[in-house]
Amino acid sequence: MTVFCTLAGGGAPAITALQLNAGAIAPESAVLVALLACLLVDLAGEEAASRWVPPICYGGLGTALVLLALQWNAPLEPSFLGSFLADNLAIAFRGVVAASTLLSLLISWRYVERSGTPVGEYAAILLAATLGAMFLCGATDLVSIFISLETLSVSSYLLSGYMKRDARSGEAALKYLLVGSAAAAVFLYGASLLYGLTGGETSLEAVGVALQTSATPVTALALVFVLATVAFKIAAVPFHQWTPDVYEGSPTPVVAFLSVGSKAAGFALALRLLVGCFESFDAQWKVLFTVLAVLSMTLGNVVALAQTSMKRMLAYSSIGQAGFVMIGLVCGTEDGYAAMVLYMAAYLFMNLGAFACIILFSLRTGSDRISDYAGLYQKDPLITLGLSLCLLSLGGIPPMLGFFGKIYLFFAGWADQQYLLVVVGLITSVVSIYYYISVIKMMVVKEPQEASDVVKAYPEISWSLTGMQPLRAALVGCVLVTAIGGILSNPLFTWANSAVAGTPMLQHAIAASESAVAALG
Amino acid sequence: MPASSIDIPLEAYLVLAAILFCTGVWGLINSRNAVRVLMSIELMLNAVNINLMAFSSYIDGQQIRGQVFAIFVITVAAAEAAVGLAILLSLYRNRETVDMERFNLLRW
Amino acid sequence: MLSALLLIPLVGALLLLVWPGDPESQRWRWATLALLGLQLFWSLAVLLRFDPAIGGAQLLEVAPWVGTLGLEYRLGVDGLSLPLVLINGVLSFVAVAVTAADTSRPRLYHALLLLISGAVNGAFLAQNTLLFFLFYELELIPLWLLIAIWGGRNRAYAATKFLIFTALSGMLILGAFFGLALATGSADFSFNPLLAQDVGLGVQLLLLGALLVGFGIKIPLVPFHTWLPDAHTEASTPVSVLLAGVLLKLGTYGLLRFCLGLFPEAWGVMAPWLAGWAALSVLFGSLAAIQQQDMKRMVAYSSVGHMGYVLLAAAAATPVSLQGALFQMISHGLISALLFLLVGVVYSATGTRDMNVLRGLLNPQRGLPLTGSLMVVGVMASAGIPGMAGFVAEFLVFRGSLVAFPLQTLLCMVGSGLTAVYFLLLVNRAFFGRLDTPPTTQQVVLPSIPLGHQIPAMALAVAILAIGLLPQGLGSLMERSSFALTLPPRVIAASLDSAISSATTTPAIRLEQG
Repeated sequence: MTVFCTLAGGGAPAITALQLNAGAIAPESAVLVALLACLLVDLAGEEAASRWVPPICYGGLGTALVLLALQWNAPLEPSFLGSFLADNLAIAFRGVVAASTLLSLLISWRYVERSGTPVGEYAAILLAATLGAMFLCGATDLVSIFISLETLSVSSYLLSGYMKRDARSGEAALKYLLVGSAAAAVFLYGASLLYGLTGGETSLEAVGVALQTSATPVTALALVFVLATVAFKIAAVPFHQWTPDVYEGSPTPVVAFLSVGSKAAGFALALRLLVGCFESFDAQWKVLFTVLAVLSMTLGNVVALAQTSMKRMLAYSSIGQAGFVMIGLVCGTEDGYAAMVLYMAAYLFMNLGAFACIILFSLRTGSDRISDYAGLYQKDPLITLGLSLCLLSLGGIPPMLGFFGKIYLFFAGWADQQYLLVVVGLITSVVSIYYYISVIKMMVVKEPQEASDVVKAYPEISWSLTGMQPLRAALVGCVLVTAIGGILSNPLFTWANSAVAGTPMLQHAIAASESAVAALG
Repeated sequence: MPASSIDIPLEAYLVLAAILFCTGVWGLINSRNAVRVLMSIELMLNAVNINLMAFSSYIDGQQIRGQVFAIFVITVAAAEAAVGLAILLSLYRNRETVDMERFNLLRW
Repeated sequence: MLSALLLIPLVGALLLLVWPGDPESQRWRWATLALLGLQLFWSLAVLLRFDPAIGGAQLLEVAPWVGTLGLEYRLGVDGLSLPLVLINGVLSFVAVAVTAADTSRPRLYHALLLLISGAVNGAFLAQNTLLFFLFYELELIPLWLLIAIWGGRNRAYAATKFLIFTALSGMLILGAFFGLALATGSADFSFNPLLAQDVGLGVQLLLLGALLVGFGIKIPLVPFHTWLPDAHTEASTPVSVLLAGVLLKLGTYGLLRFCLGLFPEAWGVMAPWLAGWAALSVLFGSLAAIQQQDMKRMVAYSSVGHMGYVLLAAAAATPVSLQGALFQMISHGLISALLFLLVGVVYSATGTRDMNVLRGLLNPQRGLPLTGSLMVVGVMASAGIPGMAGFVAEFLVFRGSLVAFPLQTLLCMVGSGLTAVYFLLLVNRAFFGRLDTPPTTQQVVLPSIPLGHQIPAMALAVAILAIGLLPQGLGSLMERSSFALTLPPRVIAASLDSAISSATTTPAIRLEQG
């Protein structure tokens, strides 16, 4: 009772001044409700689960997306005593996360069904990961960042180990868990130092203010610790070692989610921490991320050349793609941030489209080797066309969506005079075209007599099995958006720009860097 | 509560936490047994908890955010350990080993 | 009006790709021919609407696209792009017309040809550098597939080499465009030579260098040419026709439009070196061609040599030489297309292109007399014999460049002489002599080529003669645009009159007058 009184007496003015504003997390609530419903339905038995879980998930994620759209440009008020903020940046990234979950679920049903694991549990864990990722996009407090980060991570560990009978899946999960927990511990250590340095504050805003006055070695240490975790989450070289293993061992639909949803959340976190919090160390972290971006683009794209497994190749390509996105992060201009948002949205469709094709292929043949795709055009034109378009888009060939995203990143980088990054980006995208093209060469160019054994024994195409129709819908949807979205991309550009315009944190940073430039000039 | 009543300086706690954290990192790198790796991570998390508690009681006596943070850390660490051991168990059933060097189906 | 030039082939390609059912092979060809015929017809209609008296781009079509990037859908046509659009229309049509009836996977093949045709039109018509880049890259993948699927034995290597070189050239070009457009802080991707004024000369030179290497790969200029002979050797005849006739022109078009047009100041500084580079390229191409045993490789190297003239003319940048550069682009397009067609005929009739094996193809009964005669015409045109398109072009190039760079021009003239040498070697070895060479004892009878299959080649030969005899029509079309490229315009007007009056005294023109 006395404790309560002290609390009320000491903290009351501060607490009552801040509203709870629980409405800000309405989209997450929808996901949470769907999650609980999935768990409940799962209790009713396998059959009920496989019938009811998909519509529940669509409903929950669909509602979440609608609610997110309604939040767009709404007046900003920090919610939950300043630990969550639903600005446009957060909404955009939460949208990307929710959409990536929706698409990943669409392409997973058949895969999960066939592996003989419970559908309800799978959906529930994936929704939990989504919940964590969505909270992470808007978290503005060290504690809420940590909690949402761990929600995302722990669910991801479970997902990547979901194929219990497959030793590779378990191994991927264990490696992911050990590296991920270690990264989380490092982040926490940095966060605890920041807590001490600010004199007892955990909100990012307060941390940012406190950092402006103190530049001790301990601060630098805290910065390095926190940044290492961010780099781990977005799989920037040299914090990328876990990526290829986890991608290769995990179930493919999970990889689809990890490569887009989890990564989008990582970039949102990077923006919050770097731009919102480490403003006073602007020069330092920009140098650091320039190095990381150059390394990621180079190593990711070069190592991808040598891969024989499709999933592993896409893992390295996703490292390279993260390097491209980091160009926008380092720029720190309006265009830079908008390009990041735009590219993540484009990446959502092209990467998930590619994964849908890979899953379909492995469902039909059980193979994942690039050389097994030889001569596929004859047996399965849909996969051939879809995968070709998505890979061309990832390689940045016009008029695909990826071309516009990539050119916007380079444009923003060049306008901010990041010549090194843009030049490395241009060269490595030529390299990336080479390995994307070699998959297309396998599928399209090889003659029927050169076709792989797997393709020669290709099964009859049928869409009648459970879960195949959603897979087809996701595949066709992603490929259409990838192919046509580029030509009609102007609304997407407007959207990305207004995402940046509606985010006070970014506007503040842009204004600061512009005034710095003006002072120099 | 204010630090004046306590003789031990804040730095002592921070150094202890740093030592503990380094021990954890050392264990993380050097252990071959996966259970030991998990335990090393727990050490690192406990180092963080000491940091948080020390800061909380020396600097932030009013809002005790550090203590709240520490409770969250403990909770999440428990969840993480549970998941970690579960994964390890399922892996052990498949492979009959917990030796990190033997987990080599995937290239590092 | 201009959008139709993009829409007809591009929408046509999509229609072909999604067309339901599986019609027989010939239907695809007829459909494609109809679409390309329509495109050609439409480009002729554009020609009628075109007013040569206007210097800048006309028939503009503007629509906003992505404002943030400065990317605007802006099409226009001027004297530089119109002839190239026309030649693209003609050669795309020819390429489909000479496609073998039993081509495998006809749906994809014809759709890709249409895509290339549309993308090339787009690149020539684009009035925004980013839009140009978009179309420039768009043509990349279809051509790669055309070489990689329907090519010769070593096609995978050649196609990938082509792809990597061209992708690299695209990235260099994009970097240079960014450098120019963003130099002033605002994203201005229009064709505006004033843009470069605000950039320091050093940066200008750097950007121009990137552009030169980028387009130098595409043209191709020594030492960036190595992809071309491989690509030509492996590509099928129609693809070679398109590649030599149209796609290389993207490089020279870029050279004139962007290198010269956007960086006039830096160009002036670099011009002597560029002329030297041109001479090197011409001589290397010609000498390398002499060495070749494979007819197709020889023609490919002759392209390397002949495209060097365009660089020489652009370096000189006098009105006459620029006029010559345009002529050279057109005449090279027609001549190399003709030569590749004929080499293709020889190859399909004899099964080889090796000049150590081929003998006496001109044999009137059992050989390929018509093909041989056309080959002689093509070779003469390429070597610059008066009365043919090649002569007018080379004459204007050398006449215009001699004033500016005498030494380099003389070296290029030597290269032109070498053209005669290697093509004489070709005709002498493959077409003259006895058809039945000593090792074979029995009589060789080559299959006779139906007259219908020779029509495209004959049409090209007629066009080459027509341009050679009546160059004014084409010249008047391009005159204004070539002036617009040179600065300042007033000086040019005077020198042009003198050049034209001197040109009328040359044998070719007299021939046409008489």
